[in-house]
Amino acid sequence: MTSWRVTRPGIFAPCLLLLLLPACDGPQSALAPAGREAELLADLFWIMLAGAVVLWLAINGLMFYVTRINVGHMPRRLAEGIIIGGGIVFPVIVLAALLGYGLTLMPLTRVPGDGLRIRVTGEQWWWRVEYWPEGAEAPVVAANEVRLPSGRRTDIELAAHEVIHSFWIPALGGKTDMFPGRDTLMTLEPLTPGVYRGQCAEFCGESHALMAFQAVVLPEEEFADWLEAEAAPARPPSGPLEAAGQEVFLAQGCGACHTVRGTPATGAVGPDLTHVGSRLTIGAGTLPPTAEALANWIAHPGTIKPGVEMPSYDELAPDDLAALAAWLEGLE
Amino acid sequence: MSKREAPSRARTVVLTLAALGLVVAVSVVGLGLYNVSARAGHLPGVSWVLHTTFRNSVDLRAPPQSEAPDLTDPDLIALGAGHFDVACRMCHAAPGETRAATVRTMVPEPPHITEAVESWNAGELFWIVREGVKMSGMPAWPAPSREDEVWAVVAFLTSVGDMSGESYDALTAQPETERAAVAFCATCHGSDGMSGNAQIPRLDIQNPGYLLTALQAFRNGMRASGIMQQAASLVPEATLAELADHYGAQPTGEASAEVDPALSEAGEALAEARTGDTEVPACRACHGPWPERLSPDFPALAGQHEHYLRKQLSLWKEGRRGGGPRSDLMHQAAADLTEDEIAALAAYYASLPPARLGATEAAAR
Repeated sequence: MTSWRVTRPGIFAPCLLLLLLPACDGPQSALAPAGREAELLADLFWIMLAGAVVLWLAINGLMFYVTRINVGHMPRRLAEGIIIGGGIVFPVIVLAALLGYGLTLMPLTRVPGDGLRIRVTGEQWWWRVEYWPEGAEAPVVAANEVRLPSGRRTDIELAAHEVIHSFWIPALGGKTDMFPGRDTLMTLEPLTPGVYRGQCAEFCGESHALMAFQAVVLPEEEFADWLEAEAAPARPPSGPLEAAGQEVFLAQGCGACHTVRGTPATGAVGPDLTHVGSRLTIGAGTLPPTAEALANWIAHPGTIKPGVEMPSYDELAPDDLAALAAWLEGLE
Repeated sequence: MSKREAPSRARTVVLTLAALGLVVAVSVVGLGLYNVSARAGHLPGVSWVLHTTFRNSVDLRAPPQSEAPDLTDPDLIALGAGHFDVACRMCHAAPGETRAATVRTMVPEPPHITEAVESWNAGELFWIVREGVKMSGMPAWPAPSREDEVWAVVAFLTSVGDMSGESYDALTAQPETERAAVAFCATCHGSDGMSGNAQIPRLDIQNPGYLLTALQAFRNGMRASGIMQQAASLVPEATLAELADHYGAQPTGEASAEVDPALSEAGEALAEARTGDTEVPACRACHGPWPERLSPDFPALAGQHEHYLRKQLSLWKEGRRGGGPRSDLMHQAAADLTEDEIAALAAYYASLPPARLGATEAAAR
């Protein structure tokens, strides 16, 4: 019998994989579930992985047995037993069990929501978000952030404007594609309050990688308070700088595309900015919501997010730009 | 003689001829043997060859007449006449006028306008005006993207054949004004900016800042227009601000024409972003009526000619309209407009009482 030894790559490969393990945690990981659907998927993943490991060990064990331990002539009955048992019966049982288990999970992800409906539309490259509480006649419009009550099932209606996108919050559930002209539906039941990251998961153009959002899971009471505040009009400017900023916004045509409720600006082309200062990011998960970042974005949106539809306002006087950014930052 | 030698003899003949040709070419080009004198004219037969080539070249390339807009539209004819007067008359002369003595010694000699249009149809005239004619002194249209303007000149050319000198003068007369520079603009725009021609924009609704930006954009080529680039290049740079101030200070005149109320209502809903359409920005946020102060960089549209608005919106949509430093805003805004939306918006703004941007604020409150 020939001797065998573990080669160097055989030792290094698992060590390198260990280095990747920290990536399994964090705000955008399907392996760190924070919701009912994500837990089901994580369970499914671990069980599938266990099944795969068992199969891998069995196949390699058999290979080892016939090439190293029992080399040479084999009785016909034993050979047929290995082929039929290991090649047909065993995989059929394992795969049927895994399939059966997987199928039992599907109805669990389709339990309808408790009343709140959120409609998310994929735009180039941002997210239009509408909250429809049960019985509401008009939505509460927001953008680039999805807030959800924990412990409640929320229906999420998905649409797209021009091209296909895909809505994915790995920590809360699976991904669902968004199609122009056809609505798709998913239901999420987040369990652990926290801030998670969502990302467009279907290539949708130049700035696909910059089409992200924050998913904020709030305890039910807090969510109700937040939604009430979100439904309210923008707060009036405090101080002369913010007042000047609002004046710039209304004089420079920003209201053609953006809505700020409580002002004449009712544009529907770009994101609703009524409470933009309370968001955790701007530019759909691209920049922090600071006045500095807002000023940078307004003057050079195309260099931050290539292909963006927003034209650049680099012609604005620096003072006007600073005032505008200060006012937007204050729109909490 | 063996067969092998035949090709080498043929080669010797070809090479000798080529060498002789080269010597002649070098002598003509390098030593200046060819006489370019206009007085000397062409050698016998050369004129015929050149002219026949010209005619056949135009015949081959001219678009069919079916592509022409309504060339009998008096407004279109007047616009073309206004441009002819400042860009073409210097060579081709006006009806009832003789060509300048200097022009008549050009080779080829530019034909008098009544004679020049005689043997061409509208499509051929369009091609000649747009493309110009090499080595004849006839220039190409300065703004290749503005074929719509070329048709205005063609409309004038198709009616100039039997036009009297008096009719021509009536079409192109400069009104009497205090300032000579204003008189030049007033031929088309009126001295009060209240152009009565649907093809020519009213200026009595604009602020001086916007007018100056527009004039500079024409002058530096940022806004394509064979007609206005020519006009703006004839005015000294320093005079542009004076012109902008003159028209920016004129009292705003009366409404110009009635529009279809249903169309205008659809336009109003679009301009105010009430349709739920997420592709069309709310026009009123830049162009009014708007309850807050608007930037004077934006043009007013209230009361502008419907036809002019429609044409400009189409140019924006097709990416053929330039302008000042803010023009990128309008490219984005118009990119997704449909033909119906353009018609509705033009009708809506034409239906509004003519007003400058600052003056619409009170009304919208």
